[in-house]
Amino acid sequence: MAAAVSSPLTTHVLNTGDGIPASKMAVTLHRLDSELKIWNMLGVGTTNEDGRCSGLISQEAFTSGMYKLRFETGSYWESRGQTSFFPYVEVVFTITDPGQRFHLPLLMSQFSYSTYRGS
Amino acid sequence: MSALRLQHIQRHILPENQQTMAGSLGTLTTHVLNTGMGVPAANVALVLYRQDSSTNAWTLITSGTTNDDGRCPGLITKEQFTAGVYKLHFETAQYWASMGETSFYPYVEIVFTINDPEQKYHVPLLLSRFSYSTYRGS
Repeated sequence: MAAAVSSPLTTHVLNTGDGIPASKMAVTLHRLDSELKIWNMLGVGTTNEDGRCSGLISQEAFTSGMYKLRFETGSYWESRGQTSFFPYVEVVFTITDPGQRFHLPLLMSQFSYSTYRGS
Repeated sequence: MSALRLQHIQRHILPENQQTMAGSLGTLTTHVLNTGMGVPAANVALVLYRQDSSTNAWTLITSGTTNDDGRCPGLITKEQFTAGVYKLHFETAQYWASMGETSFYPYVEIVFTINDPEQKYHVPLLLSRFSYSTYRGS
């Protein structure tokens, strides 16, 4: 509960093809080790009934750097008996001020997706 | 008539030039648009990869740069275009930096599955400094 309240990074996945939140989608958060140039997985979650997934990272762990959110969209569509053009979606973004809040929604259908820095 | 205008007209009335140059019209195309400014995104470096189905490693197919219209003809030949998982990598932050702007995304990668390489696939990227979208188009 505490993690959900203070989560500096949140996401919201919407199934725009069906007009519903995308629930039960696996999401992982990674940060790039800038020296080794490898991705370290920091958190894993599943979207809830409202398509949201908070608590992926705590405020303390949230440092400046390059991050990646990976959404298992292909598995999501499969679980609904539908195909998809994209096997998964990875959104790579740069955090220069970890004091701010970052909300990264993913609007997706079987053949399209969009993402933006929201609030 | 400006050189740019002449180029546009040539592209419309002489499509066979494109075909000759690339070896085929290409069954995979992309189009990068700068929706923040309402212009095609020119000079965006991009790379096309295909995933090796046994090792899962990414094999480089082509690297290129978008033209004045935000397009990159000749991404892949018909012979190279087999079923599989592909990735388009766009150097978007580099693009914004060249215009003196920052961006939320250091780059954009779009991974997609080609089941039927006989079809035409158009994978555009609509891009602003803090958002992007893609879709299977035509």
